[in-house]
Amino acid sequence: MSQSAPYGPEVRIRIGGPAGTGIKAAGQSLARVFASSGYHTFDLTEYPSLIKGGHNTYHLRVSEAPIYSHVMATDVLVALDRQTVRLHLAELTEGAAVIYDPADFEPDASDIDGRDDLCLVPAPLTAIVKDVGGIPIMRNVVSLGAVLGHMDYPLQGLLDSIRAQFANKPAEVAEQNVAAATAGYAFAQDVHCDFPYKLAPRAAEADVVLADGNESVGLGALAAGIGLYCAYPMTPSSALLHFMAKYGDDNGVVVKHTEDEIAAMNMVLGGAFGGARSMCATAGGGFALMVEAFGFGGVSESAVVVGVFTRPGPATGMPTWTEQSDLRFVIHAAQGEFPRVVLAPGDHTESFEAGWKAFNLADQLQTPVVILSDSYLCENRQTSVPYDVDAVTIDRGALVAEGDVASHPEAIAEAGGYLRYKVTESGISTRALPGVTGATQLVNSYEHDEYGWGQEGERADVRIAQNDKRMKKLELARTLVPPPNHFGPTSAEVSIVCFGSTKMPVREAMSWLEAEGITVNMLQPVTVWPFPHEEVAAFIDSAARTLVIESNYTGQLEGLVAEYCGLHFDANLRRYDGRPISPEIVYAKVKAMLGAQVELTTAGAVAAKEGGL
Amino acid sequence: MAVTKEFSSPIAPTWCPGCGNFQMFEALKRAILEMGWKTEDFAMFWGIGQHGNGSDFWQVQGFHALHGRSLPPATAFRLTRPDQHVIVEMGDGDGYGLGMGHFIHTVRRNVDITCIAHNNQIYGLTTGQASPTSDHLMKSPSTPKGVLEEPVNPIGLALAERATFVARGWAGDIAHLSNLYVQALSHKGFALVDVFQPCVTFNKVNTFRWFNERIYKLEEEGWDPSDRVKAFELSMSTFHDLECTPETCRIPVGVYYKEEGRPTYEDGLSATQTPAFKQAQTPRDVSAIMRGL
Repeated sequence: MSQSAPYGPEVRIRIGGPAGTGIKAAGQSLARVFASSGYHTFDLTEYPSLIKGGHNTYHLRVSEAPIYSHVMATDVLVALDRQTVRLHLAELTEGAAVIYDPADFEPDASDIDGRDDLCLVPAPLTAIVKDVGGIPIMRNVVSLGAVLGHMDYPLQGLLDSIRAQFANKPAEVAEQNVAAATAGYAFAQDVHCDFPYKLAPRAAEADVVLADGNESVGLGALAAGIGLYCAYPMTPSSALLHFMAKYGDDNGVVVKHTEDEIAAMNMVLGGAFGGARSMCATAGGGFALMVEAFGFGGVSESAVVVGVFTRPGPATGMPTWTEQSDLRFVIHAAQGEFPRVVLAPGDHTESFEAGWKAFNLADQLQTPVVILSDSYLCENRQTSVPYDVDAVTIDRGALVAEGDVASHPEAIAEAGGYLRYKVTESGISTRALPGVTGATQLVNSYEHDEYGWGQEGERADVRIAQNDKRMKKLELARTLVPPPNHFGPTSAEVSIVCFGSTKMPVREAMSWLEAEGITVNMLQPVTVWPFPHEEVAAFIDSAARTLVIESNYTGQLEGLVAEYCGLHFDANLRRYDGRPISPEIVYAKVKAMLGAQVELTTAGAVAAKEGGL
Repeated sequence: MAVTKEFSSPIAPTWCPGCGNFQMFEALKRAILEMGWKTEDFAMFWGIGQHGNGSDFWQVQGFHALHGRSLPPATAFRLTRPDQHVIVEMGDGDGYGLGMGHFIHTVRRNVDITCIAHNNQIYGLTTGQASPTSDHLMKSPSTPKGVLEEPVNPIGLALAERATFVARGWAGDIAHLSNLYVQALSHKGFALVDVFQPCVTFNKVNTFRWFNERIYKLEEEGWDPSDRVKAFELSMSTFHDLECTPETCRIPVGVYYKEEGRPTYEDGLSATQTPAFKQAQTPRDVSAIMRGL
């Protein structure tokens, strides 16, 4: 039923139930327990756009070996309602456990579809909560205890984590939770199925980061000296607003929850005018509202950073799910033409790097820089090696923050006076901030002359000079932006191109394929604009078989390659159902390209069909 | 009219001869001089419209924003540059049309900004369509049967959201207007000066003569600007019949309402105490936050 080949020594746990029952918080504390004892974890939260009801799940992958993404299989299922069993039965591996509360329901034959391999753990979650004098939400804590009890994994880490979590509450709250976890643990130990997936306890404290993509971008921005963050809440970017609100003010960051996204983007331009490192973030719908001001940032040569964290559209779309369908939108957004940089980090570490590098690029190029991410990366946590905070540098480009502009002759007109938009060879003009003596200027949404005034901007020669000067910065950008990442051997049986979060499941699948002796390599453009056409073309030209993978219907990355490289792929894999690309389907796709039909098993794992390798 | 040279750019104003913008331009330059501010002490923001074309005629630290969007960048600038004063100029179509949401929310924040509305009750730049402050039933190319909406009452809206300084100015009296500006610029908190400024080309109703027959100065009639409810009642003078006589619709100018001592938005933030560009000199150490997640 399950196939162990692709998977290393690991356990996959899913908690499912109605919204509003604390599933994500409970799951994350379990992740912390494993992460702090040296395991690699990757979680996946899936939920509808509801506060109560519906079906929420938290999936946690815990592995001894490094991992890159989620997987589809589950070995321990905590079912806080009956539909959780039905919806996730197919992904349960051989001998998997189902922890449920008989007070909620008793699984019947139709729920488990004749699966006699499963270990049913009827944990009396509600009764235990009542016994310890707790409140209903603590059913989660009992179930976490039961998960560890079932796995024979020491309870102490969870108890420590509970005590830390409730350190600021009255002592009895922590102790109630401790008692609840302990009782759940004991119950599962008593049931004692022969559970095939076990993890040995690790003694050493691990120095890891357990962050989602939102937090990772936020850490990068904080490190870069951000001074202004503006946003209107919108999934999946809201957690970055919460992060900034929590850590910003004490660190000197003005954090503003604005009346709408239009205000957020316009505020960021005002912040940049004053010299603050300024950023806003939103989802595709919010960015649609920001677009006019985004273009204003282009014509006014404003150093701003915009996070566009996408979800399935159009319009309100599927708010809590994931998709990579705004790539074209972001690289083309706004009327007129202007240079922009779009960074698409592929994982949590790259999110941190994009978070700080975007500010340097914005200052060096004096133009908007986008960090393009998506729900899959933004909302899910992975253990990472601590981010390299020592590598962070600050380069503010041609900025004059204090003093007298007269001591910067390159910025002064022949007749005297500061020229904010002086035409230069590189396209970059000296940017003197308000407050600098003599730095009168006009930041203008109109086309303008070298000073910034609009009237002369209507002259044909002035328009050409200013437009040329701005567009030159795109060529300069090519020399400054992060290059594409290359993974795997130089030559391989299959060569994959993907961008953004799809990097994670592709790398995971590559590790499975490598273990089988199949060579695969991958090119992942980290900067998707300006498009790295030379690197992509060279990669494709030298490949035996090519595959492009992305989460959208129309093949937006594939289209860019056709447009800018004049090249086509042998195969593509596209997904647009709101779910992330999973390593299983990448694995199956690559095998199929090599002539081996592979299908997903009922356990969500992959198995070779007849004639397989 | 004596013209103040300070803060003027080399570009000659392109407003129609007789436009109320000339008087507003002059009154504001005089007020800034009276405040003793130098060009490096303050920044100005404009939206799009005939008022915004004025950005070319100033030589200051300026920001000519998008249509309707002058208040958000001005707010952010103020919050990140505590060392700078901020003046916003907006139009009635600009600030009370597209910008209405920003206007209300900026008032709520009581951020320390002076906001001057060039209220000519018409769209000048786009050749004479009705604006949000056009009188009920006024005819225009976009409203040939007359405006069917009631005009926006900016004074009343600002009072409803507890603006701490609300005034109405009249472009026909530079000395009086300049004095209102000085009071607004001296106020700590959000200050609105909505200025009636006749459009001599497109607004055939609300002309200089029409206003001169109706305007009266609040301070000359012993107005108490500390009573918010009475000020709100006074703001109802916005609504009148198109054909009203000077006796039946009198137009009050001056300070409607003023409240001293209320904390500003920036008073509530510790981050605004330093210019934000100083936060980006060396990388912040985020190690503790990173490991504490």
